[in-house]
Amino acid sequence: MALRRSLVALLGLAGCLALVYGGCSGGPGDGKSIKVVIADYSKDNTKPFWQSLAADYTKRTGVKVDLQVIDWNSIDQQVTTMIQNNQPPDVLNLNSFSSYARDGLLYTADEVLSPQTRADFLPSFAQGGEFRGTLYGFPILASARAFFYNKPLLAKAGVAAPPRTWSELVAAATKVRDSAPGLIGYALPLGPEEAQAEWSIWMWNNGGDWKTADRWTINSDKNVQTLQFLADLANRHRVTQVNPGKTNRTDGAFQLFKDGKVGMVIGFSPLAAQLDAEGKVEYGVTAMPTNADAPVTLGVEDYLMAFKKKDNRDAVRQFLDLYYQPDNITRWITAEGFLPVTKAGVERMSGNAKLRPYLDALPRARLAPTTDPVWDKVKLDVQQNLGLAVQPGGNPRQVLDALQQRATAAAEERK
Amino acid sequence: MLYPAAQLVLASASRYSVTGLYQGAVGTLNYRRLFEQEALATVLLNTLVWVTAVVGVTVVISLALAQLLDASFPGRRIVRWAVIVPWAASLIVTAKLFVWVYDYYFGALNHVLISLRVVAAPVDWLGNDATVMGAMIAVGVFVSLPFTTYVLLAGLATIPGDVYEAARLDGASTWQTYWSVTLPLLAPALLVATVLNLIYVFNSFPIVWTLNDRNPGFGHDTMVTYLYKIAFKSALRDVGLAAALGVLNVALVLVAVLVYLRTVRWQDAEA
Repeated sequence: MALRRSLVALLGLAGCLALVYGGCSGGPGDGKSIKVVIADYSKDNTKPFWQSLAADYTKRTGVKVDLQVIDWNSIDQQVTTMIQNNQPPDVLNLNSFSSYARDGLLYTADEVLSPQTRADFLPSFAQGGEFRGTLYGFPILASARAFFYNKPLLAKAGVAAPPRTWSELVAAATKVRDSAPGLIGYALPLGPEEAQAEWSIWMWNNGGDWKTADRWTINSDKNVQTLQFLADLANRHRVTQVNPGKTNRTDGAFQLFKDGKVGMVIGFSPLAAQLDAEGKVEYGVTAMPTNADAPVTLGVEDYLMAFKKKDNRDAVRQFLDLYYQPDNITRWITAEGFLPVTKAGVERMSGNAKLRPYLDALPRARLAPTTDPVWDKVKLDVQQNLGLAVQPGGNPRQVLDALQQRATAAAEERK
Repeated sequence: MLYPAAQLVLASASRYSVTGLYQGAVGTLNYRRLFEQEALATVLLNTLVWVTAVVGVTVVISLALAQLLDASFPGRRIVRWAVIVPWAASLIVTAKLFVWVYDYYFGALNHVLISLRVVAAPVDWLGNDATVMGAMIAVGVFVSLPFTTYVLLAGLATIPGDVYEAARLDGASTWQTYWSVTLPLLAPALLVATVLNLIYVFNSFPIVWTLNDRNPGFGHDTMVTYLYKIAFKSALRDVGLAAALGVLNVALVLVAVLVYLRTVRWQDAEA
């Protein structure tokens, strides 16, 4: 009994000591450590790369790195909580930045990036990171979407070539659906995961847009026509999977395509990498079917940003310099299967045949209006509500009107 | 325990930016905005259905299960351990498992039902508005059974054997014995089980969140998931508004528990 008691006491003491030492290892912005928050792009590549980069950085500068790799589903919430508790990260990787810039939380490019790095960004991506003309969101990587099709399925259905126009798409999808039981013509993901991405592509390929000049035009006539077309694909032509408004991209549309049940889907280079690894589906990649003059695709860029804190500017600057060294940045982007955002990166990766279709599409790729802080709310609104328009009995005009009304209200509020 | 509660009330009286940055106190503005939300009525109704159905069905099935586990039979120990499994597994893991069981294309449930010819075509359990709530309730009952069964089992163990002897001597049938002897003596355990379940099920986040994950809008949310969406996932992204909803949630649970206790005490007093 006495032995047990002293054992417990010993453990308690050890525990207290651990807490004391643990708590002593530096707080935010004291120059001895920085907190780096990165989104989890893939289980195999993200953490290893950033851990080795952090180790390299600590070796060179002596500054410790508190690295947190957080998955996409929770990163927004966790960052909001960090800021609410006055514990913002020093370096953050996220797919939006302008709200943080508007709240005055970020360093500008001039303050933390070397001139060489600044000059190396591809112009369209650098522009996509500007808020009121100043660069706050530093491009970290990019992706472009492309039109994927299942070659054997299309051939068996008697479709000679992948569709170039919307009417060809409907015809091809119908033929695929009829060619064998249980097949899906076109997999349409409009669920809450990334509805805005799928929607952007269709919207642009009919000549519509999120904003015109400086005004939101979410419910323009062209856009209503586009959303009605998608609802028809689901409910009138019945060429999509069941309940597209409730299907997400990753565990829904992509999963079905990887299983060989789908004729066509909009995908991007990580999907191609997975298809190659599994080797089950023989697929082709081409440009989007369009209802306008030329196919348009979606380019997505993610950002690195630096939070203003006392005494962390030099530490952050050194960390960013290390990441943007061409060897480091190209190594990671290649491993993840994404596209470069720097001129040096494009040069180095231009030899990669697999990336050819996306690199070619990059010049014609359009970005979402991420430079407008209102977009952060609109994006979430679209994710949460767009799917309602394509369910049986859904009303595209009503849904777009509601989105437009909330976007303009948010824009008024933030003036 | 008081600090988080105090922080919640403070947050509900504040305004926060989309980024989480505190922007000042606003009094009762968040509460007024909360009651102006269109989705609130639907969410309240969903929560009422969710709590009543899960607690009700769980208690009824648990009564039967507890009776079964109270009787002696070979292998009773193994069955008792097996009943604990849904409770031991994390809610998220269970919920994710059921998402795949219910899946339209890949799900085991559709596969089994079609093989048994119960349905002719696959059913989109989680996508079809008519079946989502039922699907979620089934999972809610599944994970609540172990706890409730064990509380009732403990209650059964406290009933002395002489009472059953006396009932048998009086010539009561099995059903009469159950209704007039067992149930009234189980009342304290039933009370504990029901009140605790009321609170747990009202606050249950993982099941509704995971099963409802692919559905747009707020049509099938309960108060707790609605709160989370307001704070982080919807266009509102408003921590202050969510905190106001949090305070409302606490008030609702307290009221529900008090009403229940009052009713039971009143029935006790009558008897």
